[in-house]
Amino acid sequence: MNTIQESERTAIREALVRFLRAEAGEDKLRLGMKSERGYDHRLWQQMADMGLLGIALSETYGGIGGSTLDAAMVAEELGRSLLPVPFIETCVIVPSLLESSDVAEKMRAVFSSIVQGTATIAIGGSATLAPYRDSTCALRIDDNGAISGEVSLVMHGAHADYLLLVIDSDSQPRCFLVSAGMEYAAEEQTANDPALRPATIRLNCAPGIELTGLNKDDLEHARLQGVATLSALQAGAARAIFEITIDYLKTRYQFGRPIGSFQALKHIAADLFLEVESAASAAHAAANALASADPLAARSVALAGFICNDAFRDVSAQAIQLHGGIAYTQEHVAHLYWRRARATLSMLGDSDTHRETYLSAWETAA
Amino acid sequence: MSEFDQDTSPEALRIAVLSWLDTYWDSDNRHPLNEPAYDRRRWRQQVLEAGLAVPSWPPEWFGLGMTAAQCKVIEKAFAERNAPGTGLDRYHLGAITVFKAGSDALKREMLPELLTGPICCLLYSEPNAGSDLAGIRTRAEQEGDKYVINGQKVWTSNAHEADYGMLLARTDWDAPKHRGITFFLFPMRQAGVEIRPINQITGESEFNEIFIENALVPERFMIGNLNEGWGSFQTAIAYERLIMGQGITGRRRVSATRGRPPLLELAEKNDRLNDPVVRQRLAQALAYREVNSLNNERAMTQMMTQGSMSLMSLSKLAMSRIQHGEAAIATDLLGPKALLDGPDNSDAANTNFDAAKAYMNSIGGGTDQIQRNIIAEKVLGLPKEHEPDKGIAFREVKSGTGSGTTG
Repeated sequence: MNTIQESERTAIREALVRFLRAEAGEDKLRLGMKSERGYDHRLWQQMADMGLLGIALSETYGGIGGSTLDAAMVAEELGRSLLPVPFIETCVIVPSLLESSDVAEKMRAVFSSIVQGTATIAIGGSATLAPYRDSTCALRIDDNGAISGEVSLVMHGAHADYLLLVIDSDSQPRCFLVSAGMEYAAEEQTANDPALRPATIRLNCAPGIELTGLNKDDLEHARLQGVATLSALQAGAARAIFEITIDYLKTRYQFGRPIGSFQALKHIAADLFLEVESAASAAHAAANALASADPLAARSVALAGFICNDAFRDVSAQAIQLHGGIAYTQEHVAHLYWRRARATLSMLGDSDTHRETYLSAWETAA
Repeated sequence: MSEFDQDTSPEALRIAVLSWLDTYWDSDNRHPLNEPAYDRRRWRQQVLEAGLAVPSWPPEWFGLGMTAAQCKVIEKAFAERNAPGTGLDRYHLGAITVFKAGSDALKREMLPELLTGPICCLLYSEPNAGSDLAGIRTRAEQEGDKYVINGQKVWTSNAHEADYGMLLARTDWDAPKHRGITFFLFPMRQAGVEIRPINQITGESEFNEIFIENALVPERFMIGNLNEGWGSFQTAIAYERLIMGQGITGRRRVSATRGRPPLLELAEKNDRLNDPVVRQRLAQALAYREVNSLNNERAMTQMMTQGSMSLMSLSKLAMSRIQHGEAAIATDLLGPKALLDGPDNSDAANTNFDAAKAYMNSIGGGTDQIQRNIIAEKVLGLPKEHEPDKGIAFREVKSGTGSGTTG
């Protein structure tokens, strides 16, 4: 891991920024929101062409072999743009689990379709490492490994090519990879964020490949990578809406002066700046801790988990308030950031849970 | 020529500094080698001559022309050997101000002295010039090659020990307030300087009021040009805020990432660690502290790689949230016991002290509200608020709680 040099990372980021600016500006984003997947799927293909989808996958399986820092960098820029692609699921959590399982060798076709952008993989289930875990999902696995039942809140589930099920069981979660075929029926759920496409998936004796050989550490590592990349995404999004807001404070005039000259608003802006930078620092520290196998990585990730959750929520909420009436309209972009913030709050554990994890880690500190 | 080479590798620099220290400094006894007693001035002189007192400054001005990263290596080597005397280019506000803003003649005359012994205090705030610091009314009037100083200063620490004060005084009453101020290196030990300690809400007396009556300062001790003191002062105050944000003013300094934090110990001691509400608050408090040190790390990197100070401005504001927040939690953890104080009730005494001391950060060196203005204006580029005193001759400006003007 960690074979990407700092200079290459900068080059990748610059290319990604150019790409997102050209292809995922607000107009195109809004067009994408009305489409089937919630985003223009050609962009996913283009991200594959840029080599971004294999960024966290090891070279052994055809990826770039980057670290969590590299995945976090991509997520941060995706967060800025609000492009709702299934990057964290397909390109971070799934590869991590598949690679550390015993069946990795048999998954070469799956890895290759991830890297080439020909498949997206959704994740669903009751385990905490499931994005938007469905704690009440009812799934049965028969003796032949066929899976039946229903799971909701599966992001991108109706358009995914595979579904990774992570199901709580006695000692540790079991993971199964299911192909979206005949035995797989998806029904989209209505989301508050108009770009998101959660779905309920009904399985009827769907054949699943169990990811055997995963121990608790493997599962935890995949979850931590997911939280760290999500944190980076939130940090990027928070900064984007913050910059939009500061710009508005400079250009909107009332009482014959820019509203940003009023201390009542200035002080909120300064406080939000602290939140934005703190989110960036926490997200970077978490990704860095994972990339360098820091023994305190779990604590760093928990910290980023709630700092970035709360920062994105608060910054996007205040953005609406600071804009005033204009941001109470759908035409303005602020509500899209705000909705996304609210949607990501519980994606991989809520802030209270992360805080509890963080404190427990301190309690055991030497 | 110095034995420390700018082009050397960090490891070679570290070894060179350690070997220099091992030649002159007894790290076990914190004492210069081969000297009967620790003479602070003599040791400082030795460090200065080696270029190690102010390593970032250029060789022609007592330094070594080192980068920030190299200075860190030097500071770490000094810390390894328990040796004082380096890093004055980061901490000695008086010397930094003279170096950044003083004339060559002043620098040649005074820097060697400032860097080896005298303590400098800050003569900035006045009873009617707090947040509006440029509203100072201490006057400096020229008489031959001297200036005569009259006025009152406040919030001056180390005044009794100080040989010099960094003095802001008004030299032009007809110019707008920022343009009639001059910065002086003011000799403290003279008739006409009266120092009265202030009794602070913490019970401490770190600060003083200074009454100045017909005291004198030589014209050559002017720092920068006549009536241009405000600009030089900006340099000095930026350093002060930076130092405060690093939490150096706190009584207890605890590493943000290692070991068990005192707040956790206090919760455990008071049997509150299993209360989920308390746990959430503790986690948030520890997080603010850890995130601040992460921000500071990024700020250092940003300053070294891009020369940008934008992140630096945040740490002082963040520190207020940390200190007031932790004191509030500690107070709740103690419950009714928090009403006690004194040596028999050390937890309560510490908590009460911390609760009061937190204002030191959130008021001293510029209140949180002023700091927010600075962040919003200087970093985020938001426009300044309407200033009624802008462009008006200072003698016409309203001040204090009354409406009268003076001059």
